[in-house]
Amino acid sequence: MGSIWAVARNTISQALRMKIAVIVIMMLAILLPLMGIVMGGDSTLKGKLQTFVSYGLSLTSLLLCVMTIAVSTHTLTEEIKRKQIFLVLTKPLRRYELILGKFLGVVILDVFLLALFGGVIFGITYFMPRMIDADEKEVAKANDAFFTSRAVLTDPVDKKEIMKEVNKEFARRIKEHEIASDMTIARMKRVKQSIMAEEIGKVTNIPPGGTRVWRFENVRPANPDDILFVQYKLEAVSPGVDKLYSQWAIGDNRQAARDSKTRVGTYQSSDAVRTVQEFKFPSELISTDGDGYVEIVLHNPYENRTTIVAKELKLLYRAGSFAGNYTRAMGVILTRLIFLAALGVSVSTWLSFPVAILMCVVVFFAGTVNGFIVEAIGGLSKELAVVYVFTIRPLLWLLPVFDGEFNPTPYMVSGEFLKWSTLGKIFLVTAFIKSSLLLLGGMFIFHKREIAKITV
Amino acid sequence: MAKEKSKYAIETFALTKIFPDWWGRAKVVAVDNLDLQIKHNEVYGLLGPNGSGKTTTMKILLSLLHPSKGAAQILGGSSRDPKISDRVGYLPEESYLYKYLTARETLDFYGRIFGLSRKVRKARIDDLLEMVGLTPMANRQVGTYSKGMARRIGLAQALINDPDVLILDEPTSGMDPIGTRQMKDMIIQFARRGKTVMLCSHLLADVEDVCDRIGILYGGRMQTEGTVDSLLQKTDQKQIVTSAISDKALGQIREIIKKENADCDISSPMDRLEEFFIRTVASAQQANQPTSGAVNTGQISGFLTEQKPPKEPEKGVLDELVSATVESEAVEPVAVSKPAVVEVGEQGPKSDLLDKLTKTAVVEEPGDVVGVEETTDAAETAAVEEIGGSDVNSDLLNKLINKGDGSTDSVEGSENG
Repeated sequence: MGSIWAVARNTISQALRMKIAVIVIMMLAILLPLMGIVMGGDSTLKGKLQTFVSYGLSLTSLLLCVMTIAVSTHTLTEEIKRKQIFLVLTKPLRRYELILGKFLGVVILDVFLLALFGGVIFGITYFMPRMIDADEKEVAKANDAFFTSRAVLTDPVDKKEIMKEVNKEFARRIKEHEIASDMTIARMKRVKQSIMAEEIGKVTNIPPGGTRVWRFENVRPANPDDILFVQYKLEAVSPGVDKLYSQWAIGDNRQAARDSKTRVGTYQSSDAVRTVQEFKFPSELISTDGDGYVEIVLHNPYENRTTIVAKELKLLYRAGSFAGNYTRAMGVILTRLIFLAALGVSVSTWLSFPVAILMCVVVFFAGTVNGFIVEAIGGLSKELAVVYVFTIRPLLWLLPVFDGEFNPTPYMVSGEFLKWSTLGKIFLVTAFIKSSLLLLGGMFIFHKREIAKITV
Repeated sequence: MAKEKSKYAIETFALTKIFPDWWGRAKVVAVDNLDLQIKHNEVYGLLGPNGSGKTTTMKILLSLLHPSKGAAQILGGSSRDPKISDRVGYLPEESYLYKYLTARETLDFYGRIFGLSRKVRKARIDDLLEMVGLTPMANRQVGTYSKGMARRIGLAQALINDPDVLILDEPTSGMDPIGTRQMKDMIIQFARRGKTVMLCSHLLADVEDVCDRIGILYGGRMQTEGTVDSLLQKTDQKQIVTSAISDKALGQIREIIKKENADCDISSPMDRLEEFFIRTVASAQQANQPTSGAVNTGQISGFLTEQKPPKEPEKGVLDELVSATVESEAVEPVAVSKPAVVEVGEQGPKSDLLDKLTKTAVVEEPGDVVGVEETTDAAETAAVEEIGGSDVNSDLLNKLINKGDGSTDSVEGSENG
């Protein structure tokens, strides 16, 4: 362990004294405060905060990723190129210990720099309301939607239940000879898709005078007196409608039926179509049974004279502190850095510096558009099923996922609760399993290879 | 060394290294069926022209290259085993150091890899820096060092674990004469403490001075192997060294030799340029000492002023590194010989080299040499060459001496005091 630590320390000294890390530190030290002053957003306090945190986190993450790639690929290749490794490997140091030491050194540097600049961004956002002397209303708005971490529950459409209905309907149609039974797979898929759309429509479409109920469970605000938010978008099935009325009822209707004292909240609104609307309700409307149950009922009044669809309904509530959420966001960024450090050290056991850094940069950008790549290649390779399963898919799996739910910036911008489970998942998969596999691969190659260059 | 399990400190078995080309076809045979056997407590010199496989052999021994066939062992095992490499010191052909670390940090890094405790590390680093004369610039980045200075740090890192086996690739390359001399003294000291040294070098004089046994490689094959004495001694010649004696006595000696029907050649022995250089620099250094700071040979000042006889610091360092039993002759300070000493004998065995070197370094008046030749065969040419070379040197040296008369005085003064 002592020798691994010695290698790690040496790697950090190298990164600092060879000025790779220093450049990154200087850029961040200048750019972050500058951004804090310059960024305007939509000229509200909330907008300013959102813009700053969005660009600040993205920039910090990007620069630290690039630095990690540069340091982790440079440290070992440089040592091999300058033959310093001759002196190290002829000492009582196992080759895997050298790899681990390098990896550990880069990770320690990352943790330190991330804590430093994460702290700077946090400090700037924290003091921004005072710096720009915002009025109370602005501050309240920022506190509601930014300096918070709100859990978001989305429209709980039961896909499984719908699939069941679809299959039932499909079987019925075949039985009643509405469709031919000997169709191609592609055609079958199309039919099923159209049935699916119909079935979903049955659930989501609300005719005039009709209602739709959303049932949420496990709604657990951090404090009993917290306020909850409902976000939604309305659309009309008939064309030419640009304003819709809606009537909402919120509460535990199961309980209300038994006990008349149970409070049910109501809310009425007339909104423009296809824009995000929001209303609040107090947390006392949630069921007192302890299962965190709440129903949201939307009634389509006759005035609308059209069937309406409520899209992207979300229930938001404060589930934790801003600081906690921010720390978890840092954790997500750290998993990226750990992965890249493992990747860089791993590929530099068998590639020269330019090739290694190129490969890491490609993988990094692939990671930032992971969803797209997996979908595109997955779609292309249906015909190569077996080959795909055993070659491309494992490699695609090894790609890191930096986008989608593992991109921390949107969470911070919208004050959305970043779940511990999300952080845990990415940490386990990316920072632990994938990184370990990469390091093990690198160690294996490094164990086998000849260190000295062939010189005759 | 009875405690060793293996018979040899370093051993190779039909070691072969073939470097293939890009297509995997054999391109160059760097080492060809080499059976090397280096006993414990031996100083072994591997010689050979460029590309003869010396460095390749060393790198295979150190597991930096894989053998194509055969095997190589150090202390009866692979150098990849930490238990083995814990006892091995290696100085590569160039000092591959981290140029962003200072000398002290460099040694500290290697000390940590050896798992030395903080206390031991600190003591050894101080001693080693002192020994290689880099204490004054210990906190400077190694990247700013000259090649010779980097070489000294390279040597220090090879010694930090007080190894049992020392592998030196071109140990004296890039070093000034004082460093070279010190390196050689260190190797001899090291061997006296029961350690094993394997070195390769192009500087044949250096190899000759320190090695017990040498092997000459060519094309990856061992051409000749044997002890230095058996390979180099001219048994058909005798040499007599005396202090200044009268012409009359010389005449008598001539007469005696004539009776033996042998040729004889009488001349004053030449100082070796190495000795002369070291004395000159030492005296210049000492003369300048009171006005310290303005010493233009900054590299060597600290090193020389603190260690007049190059041998002593070796003792201190190496003895402190490990409390191994040191033979008494190694500890004994070499007596300052009086100029009246008369030495008569054959070419001395190499183990006396240090004593000889130290004596010659303080001789004030060179004594006369009586070279007695029994035959006039090819060996004569060697003697002639030697004399010719010395003449050139003596001219050069006289010039130097005339220039620096004062410094020569100060040498004498210091040695007497």
